[in-house]
Amino acid sequence: MTPRLAVTLNALGLYAIALVLLAAFVLQITLSELPCPLCQLQRVAFAALAVGPVLNLRHGPRPSHYGMTLLAALFGLMASGRQILLHILPGDAGYGSAILGAHYYSWAFVGFAAAAAATAAMMLFDRQFGDRDTPRLGTFEKAAMGLIVGLVLANMLNGFAECGPRICPDNPTGYWLFGG
Amino acid sequence: MDQTFLFGVFAAAMLAAWFNGRRVAVALFLAGLILSVADYLHHATDRLNLSF
Repeated sequence: MTPRLAVTLNALGLYAIALVLLAAFVLQITLSELPCPLCQLQRVAFAALAVGPVLNLRHGPRPSHYGMTLLAALFGLMASGRQILLHILPGDAGYGSAILGAHYYSWAFVGFAAAAAATAAMMLFDRQFGDRDTPRLGTFEKAAMGLIVGLVLANMLNGFAECGPRICPDNPTGYWLFGG
Repeated sequence: MDQTFLFGVFAAAMLAAWFNGRRVAVALFLAGLILSVADYLHHATDRLNLSF
């Protein structure tokens, strides 16, 4: 795998993370379901997943950048795995709506596992690490970077609107910013 | 508030990476990850009624 191809695949990874964060926003608004602290932490883990690919885009692919992504995926698996275990007993309705047969946190667990597998697979290709030149980026890569930073900043504003300067309650019922 | 801060840390890490501050980006990422685990431990207090 050439460094050029690795950079393109990292940009695709950023688009995939952006899609997850965007879907979470759309479902939050359309279903009027506020994310709980553990749900927010899973979104934080998706934001953390994006730091490695951004470094790969800007500074070239390095094993350390992929290692960062793996650590973020492990944290995401821990947070989503805990929420699955919280609601795993028969009769528990779970938190929030089920989307395509599974709750957000179950899909998040699948997403983090897929991210870990994809990152490990990327690390198998040594040729991408030979070139230490800064990659030349096109619109595709720059747009991926702009999109992911924009979505993480939007999540930051969303977190403030929901919780304000206090610790979020376990079962939020309204936005702090709007008097909820 | 806690997750708002964490989103800010990771956004700052990405912006540092983009504006050529690789070391700053890595440091912010690691700090953010440690703080995220601490926040997780703060919230994950409910007892799990499970037996393995």
